[in-house]
Amino acid sequence: MAQMTERKQYSRFTPAQRFEHIVLLVSFTGLALTGLPQKFSAEAWAQSMITALGGIESVRIIHRFLATLLMAEAIYHGGVITYKLFVLGQRATMIPTLRDLWDLRDWILFNLGLKAEHPHLPRFNFGEKAEYLAVVWGTLVMVLTGFMLWNPIATTRFLPGEAIPSARAAHGGEALLAVLAIVIWHMYNVHLKRFNRSMFTGKISREAMEEEHAEELEAIEEGRKPVVFPQEVVVKNRLYFWPFALVISTFLVAGLIWFITFEQTAITTVPRQDVVVYAPQVTPASADPAVGAALWPTIRCARCHGDDASGGSGVPALRGLTMNFDDFYQIVRSGRDQMPAIGREEIPDGYLLHLWAWLQSLQPKS
Amino acid sequence: MSRKPIFWKWFAVFLIVSGCGLVWAGTGLHVSYAAPAVQDEPTQQEGEPDLSNAYCLLCHQEPDRVWELPSGETLSLYVDPTLLHDSVHGEANPEGALNCVDCHVGQRFPHTVPAAQTVREFQLERYATCRDCHEDQYTHAQDSVHGEALRNGHLEAATCVDCHGGHDIQPQDEPRQRISFTCGKCHGVIFEQYRESVHGSALVEDSNPDVPTCIDCHGVHNIENPTTAEFRTNSPLICAQCHANADLMNKYDISTHVFDTYLTDFHGTTVALFEREDPNVATNKAVCFDCHGVHNIVSVEDQGSAEAIRANLLITCQKCHPNATTNFPDAWIGHYPPSLQSTPLLFTVNTFYALLIPGVVGGFILLVFTDIFRRIRQRLFGKSKSGH
Repeated sequence: MAQMTERKQYSRFTPAQRFEHIVLLVSFTGLALTGLPQKFSAEAWAQSMITALGGIESVRIIHRFLATLLMAEAIYHGGVITYKLFVLGQRATMIPTLRDLWDLRDWILFNLGLKAEHPHLPRFNFGEKAEYLAVVWGTLVMVLTGFMLWNPIATTRFLPGEAIPSARAAHGGEALLAVLAIVIWHMYNVHLKRFNRSMFTGKISREAMEEEHAEELEAIEEGRKPVVFPQEVVVKNRLYFWPFALVISTFLVAGLIWFITFEQTAITTVPRQDVVVYAPQVTPASADPAVGAALWPTIRCARCHGDDASGGSGVPALRGLTMNFDDFYQIVRSGRDQMPAIGREEIPDGYLLHLWAWLQSLQPKS
Repeated sequence: MSRKPIFWKWFAVFLIVSGCGLVWAGTGLHVSYAAPAVQDEPTQQEGEPDLSNAYCLLCHQEPDRVWELPSGETLSLYVDPTLLHDSVHGEANPEGALNCVDCHVGQRFPHTVPAAQTVREFQLERYATCRDCHEDQYTHAQDSVHGEALRNGHLEAATCVDCHGGHDIQPQDEPRQRISFTCGKCHGVIFEQYRESVHGSALVEDSNPDVPTCIDCHGVHNIENPTTAEFRTNSPLICAQCHANADLMNKYDISTHVFDTYLTDFHGTTVALFEREDPNVATNKAVCFDCHGVHNIVSVEDQGSAEAIRANLLITCQKCHPNATTNFPDAWIGHYPPSLQSTPLLFTVNTFYALLIPGVVGGFILLVFTDIFRRIRQRLFGKSKSGH
């Protein structure tokens, strides 16, 4: 008989709850797998993951798809909660209360050997409530900051620009927190200390019930059932619930679609600029003496006319040139006396203009 | 400059003058450069062609000598012997000064008229000559955007001599601005933008040794096509060569955070991923030059008042984010690491999570350890059922 009670299974989760959990599991894991590599994109492991997932653009699409799935699940969950609380009249057993704090304290003291008895925990104990709270709070933060990142143009119409990088920081910080919490707290409690399959099978072992939900177990054994609305009230409530739920969920789904299609943040391709690449004889907008000065030591004029353009024996000084550009141009291009003609391919027209401006700007040497 | 005995000079002059029957003493003085490198064999046998520079210069130092091509163009046949002498292939050449026929291989007098119809055709036929000595540079140039353009029929695309010159070849980076003036000969519109930019004006006005000339971004002989997705994706690395270099930037009091802050921002994160993944795939995320400009980059200090800079920034953002409004540019926190002064909200969020994450995770770990501690204790010492 003892063996029988040991192996006895208790019903814990309905198929609908298990389905919600699977949706959450898939979306959360997927969001973490596509989100963390973005947060840590400079790391080699992140890059291999991004490559494996088909590149950063595809990672972002997957991330947004799963975000949409998670938000849809959140809307559905809101509907389920409303139905359970207001139509069926069930108690909100997931809401943390002061009692959970004392349970936590007693549990720690028991673990440390400072208290003789393990606290008698309710249907949802402090650890599970903490996780539920974390999921609700985390999803809220992620949806809000995610909206800002998804729609930065719209966000900055109402909020300061700094909200965007701050949302990015919060989105990444909250994600890291959630993943670490899941890896440590959830993994330990549900997989390591005892492999708890109740989220998949719907059943929980007596052993686990004794440790984790002793209070609920006692109620079950004593045949106490949670107080809910009588059937006729439920039937009446349903009449109100469905139209209400239909309207609200229509709004929420419309809001979700609005969320994910709100704006075209950026143009999809950077337009090409047309640049005139080959332009050998361009006319500068302005003649700049500084350009002429820089040009001088690179051209052969300086060899005869001197490094400072002050001329030499039989070679005229060019400092303080007074002739107009057309005359100057003519002499350079055709040559004069000992001076050879200098072609446009050697010194383009534009350079001559800068050169002429410089020579004009120089003080003649006395 | 010539350090060879005066005797050889005059001997050369004598040979030339007598050999050709031209009496022009002035010419002999002018070709004095040519003589030193020329005559390994002082005597010349009858019937063998004269390959000396002096021999060529007899005709080619006449300033007015031109060749009229079938196209009607004329090509000056004048070679200024002093320019040749002062060029990198003259006295300064560590291998010894080159002779005319070293580059004009196989040229003899009387010349056969080349088949080229135009000057450019003639130049294109000739430029492979450089390859005899400069194989690497020639090969790189063939692979470059210039080589490709040439093969695609853009005959104006630069060959060796278009940048380096023919006879008057000078060290290309002395003075430094020579580099950009060289490119500017063909790329006039771009040069005019560049010379007014923060980089170009420093080069032009001070021959600044640190600002990039054209080749610092584009390369020298193996100049890449700058219009490809790959060039764009990799371009932040070009800017980072200097702008992430603390030694260089400290000289000008420029922050070296420009590159790392770009990489931590949304744009840079994505571009860096594209760069590592496959740079050939185009991305619409901004690279440095999408915001700062390409050749016309100006210093932020030259953009006027803070209001003017903000107004400019919005216009810049709107190039890619057309619906952006006044607050939007602040979403880009600039090239500065977050701080309490400049970005209080971001700083607070970062600090909040920097405290919350270790706090929560540490708390969970401690709780898990108390549970493990109890289980081990129970297993070792007590059989009592938990909770009962």
